[in-house]
Amino acid sequence: MEAMELRDIISGSVPVKVRSDATVADALVAMMENKTDYVLVDRTGPDDAYGIITRWDIVEKAIAEGEDIKKTPAVDVARRPLVTTNNMDLDIRWVAKKMADEGVSKLAVFDRENFLGFVSDMDILKAVVGRHKKGAGQ
Amino acid sequence: MTPTKLTLRDVVKTFELPTIDRAESAEKAVLKMVDENCGALLVPRKSKNDAYGIVTKKDILAKVVAQGKDVSKVKVEDIMSRPLVILTNLSLDIRWVAKSMANSGVSTIAVFDRGDFYGYATESCIIEGVYNAMRRARLEEGVDFVSC
Repeated sequence: MEAMELRDIISGSVPVKVRSDATVADALVAMMENKTDYVLVDRTGPDDAYGIITRWDIVEKAIAEGEDIKKTPAVDVARRPLVTTNNMDLDIRWVAKKMADEGVSKLAVFDRENFLGFVSDMDILKAVVGRHKKGAGQ
Repeated sequence: MTPTKLTLRDVVKTFELPTIDRAESAEKAVLKMVDENCGALLVPRKSKNDAYGIVTKKDILAKVVAQGKDVSKVKVEDIMSRPLVILTNLSLDIRWVAKSMANSGVSTIAVFDRGDFYGYATESCIIEGVYNAMRRARLEEGVDFVSC
C-alpha cells in the first residue's frame, strides 16, 4: 500500500452543532434534517469540552436503555471530549488504528490550534481503494 | 420509557444487501460499499450447513487498514463475521432491537418472519423510525414541526 497521509483525505466540511442543553431528540432531528450521521454538542464555555453524537450513540445509549429521548440531555449520550489528532503527516494506517482502538468512527483533526474538520471511517476506506477526493489539507 | 410505541415491524426495511463472494479481496468489498453507498455486504453461504456472513466497514478498518495489511491481498472470508445476528419477532419493541444491536456490537440485524427472510434492521432504520414517529406525533397535535 502506498503511503497516504491524513492531509490527503481530510475533508473540510462544517459539522452540524446542537446547543449544550439540547436533548437527544433535538440531536436526532438535527441529524435527520441535515442528512448527516453525526452532530456536535456545543460546549458551555472555553473550559468545557465539545461532544459528538453518532447514530450509534443514540441507538445504543438512549433507545436500547429505554430512555425518553425527549428528556435525556444530549450530553449524556455524547462522547466527550472528542477523539482528536493533530499530526497531518500521519499515515492513514495509524488513523485507522486510532479509530479502531478508541471505538469511534469520526476523528476531529486539528492543525496546531485550527480545527480543520472530521475524518470518518468511510474517508479512510475510500482512500485505501483510491476513491478519495482531494482534501482541504492540501 | 419511549412514548412512541414502535416495533421492529415499523423500522425493518425489506431490501437485499449487496453480496460479495468470500474469496474476493477486501479492496473489492470497499469499492462495492462505496458504489452501493452502504456500510455492510452479505457473504453468501457455500452450502445448506454453512452460515451466511457479513462484512462491514468497521471490519475492514479494524482488521485490515489498522493492522497495516494490504487491502488487495486480504480476503473477505478472513475478516467477515458470521453467523448473522438474527431477530424473528416482528412485534418486538425497538428498545430491544436497539439493545440486541448494542449487546452484539453490530449495526445490522437480519430479520426473519417465521423462517422466511424478511429484511434488515440497521441503526439508521431505528433513527429514521423514531424521527418519523416524532414528526407524526407533532403533526397530529397540529404543530408545525420545527427543529431545535
